[in-house]
Amino acid sequence: MTTVSLLGVASYLPERVITNDFFAPGASERRGMFTAPKTRRHVGPGESAAEMIERAARRLVEEQNLNPVRDIDVLFTNVAVPDEAFTGCGAEVARRLGCRPRWILDLHNTGCVSFLYMIELARSIMSAGEARGALLCNVQNAAGRVFSNEEVRLQSQAPVPGDGCGVGYVAASEASPVLSILHTCHPESASDMEASAADGRRYWEPGLRPISIRFTDQRVASIIERGNRLVPESVRAACTAAGLHTGDIDLFVSNQPNPIFLRNWREALELPREKHHDTFDSLGNLFGAAIPINIEDALRHGKLKANDCLALGGFSHAGDYTAAAIVRWHPSTRLEGIDGLG
Amino acid sequence: MVVSRTRAELDPSGLGGIEGLVRCEEFDREALGERITEMTHTVYPHDQVYGPFITIHAHIECPPEQVFAYMANPYSLLEWTYSVRDLHPTGDGDTLVGVDSGNTPIYCKTVACKEALTVDYHCAWDQGDELWMIYLNRIVPAETVLKRPGSVVIWTNCRHPYYKENPFPNLSKDPKREWVGDWWPLFYAGHSIEFQNLKAILEHRHRLGLPMGPCLREGRP
Repeated sequence: MTTVSLLGVASYLPERVITNDFFAPGASERRGMFTAPKTRRHVGPGESAAEMIERAARRLVEEQNLNPVRDIDVLFTNVAVPDEAFTGCGAEVARRLGCRPRWILDLHNTGCVSFLYMIELARSIMSAGEARGALLCNVQNAAGRVFSNEEVRLQSQAPVPGDGCGVGYVAASEASPVLSILHTCHPESASDMEASAADGRRYWEPGLRPISIRFTDQRVASIIERGNRLVPESVRAACTAAGLHTGDIDLFVSNQPNPIFLRNWREALELPREKHHDTFDSLGNLFGAAIPINIEDALRHGKLKANDCLALGGFSHAGDYTAAAIVRWHPSTRLEGIDGLG
Repeated sequence: MVVSRTRAELDPSGLGGIEGLVRCEEFDREALGERITEMTHTVYPHDQVYGPFITIHAHIECPPEQVFAYMANPYSLLEWTYSVRDLHPTGDGDTLVGVDSGNTPIYCKTVACKEALTVDYHCAWDQGDELWMIYLNRIVPAETVLKRPGSVVIWTNCRHPYYKENPFPNLSKDPKREWVGDWWPLFYAGHSIEFQNLKAILEHRHRLGLPMGPCLREGRP
């Protein structure tokens, strides 16, 4: 298997900051699964996912000194609420960035752990000798597109999501190696999350009531149990695969569904608070964009340093996928001189 | 408990002045959900789970009446405990005396209730006047709770203050002897091992149709 490296991340956050008074009265007092962050961002009505990716990716291209035509052979996207009903936005992103990737994959699955799934897929494609560099793009835009609706925003779960875009660059390189990466699909949890409207219509059927996204009520207890159990399990498995112990973790970055899961995961991994970096309180549940956004935020706060053992992990939707990875972090600000690239 | 045959209605004034009750009249499903989610962790520190009380439980493939009879016979302790040995009558009622952990005298009185299927061992080291190490056991027919044959046995110990400090230090002949209560943090494991002994003995004899025991022979007078 070719060694791949996570060489850098960049993010873009929509400008609109939404405070709790936007939601149902008492939103800021909520606890448990629907603990509200203090603030979150919402995409504007005309803001496309492709545009968000372009903004984040241009920063990454500049910081990594990438030549988009030469260095991006694979382009992955995962967008919470796609710009168009039928097509993924990968091709539009390629147009905006001026790159000509051999592979474009618009992932519709693995939501909150899609960043990790993309790294693993990139490694497979690179191991087959089909690519050297991959751009990984995650967009969470469900907060502004779904939960800002005047009816939906009154629901209990509405204050939790927040929008943002995180991108990462992975290359066939040993510079900042991904020591282990794994994912598991749990098909039994596939149908526990739904997009539905109060009038019972399907999302493609015409109607007057807005669409919302929620867990099926009867499954909440088992979703909590699953989330609590599966994420520490997969981080431990990734550590073992890397020949490490959870005690070797210098920084843990996960998706951030709510503060309860964050607390439970670090307790189960026996990590102190400061070794688990999150942005929940200011940005809310960033879905799949959380991992790259939080890595960049950790770097900005000096919490991730060269040679650190960076553990990544999380679960998607109602537990349909779990994934984890261990990276021996060596930041790269310029791509020149890295083995095999260029 | 006396249950009236007429329909009983709750008088809410009876709960007046009692703080901290969580009842559906004041806490809706959502408020309860928040509370129970916050209380549910993935892992719990050992001390939080086994600090003040230690409860262990097991399913034993043996009918409840036979489990009860075996446990209610105090001499069974000679078989399934790790180190209670040489039990014999003290001459003071039902209290027996034996040795534990080598040569520490252990006093033990068995309090069993056949109707409730409970067997409690009231014990103490060094003296038999205040039996404060109390092992509470309840046997439940597994048919009723697990819909399978056999018994569920639930064993609880409470951390009596004497576990923290030996109340009668001058009764010990060996000043360097470790105090039983110093082992409390390992009681979950220790009791689980003894519980496995109990389960293995009962299941073996029941499976092979042997006398349930304890297997005793006439000792010295």
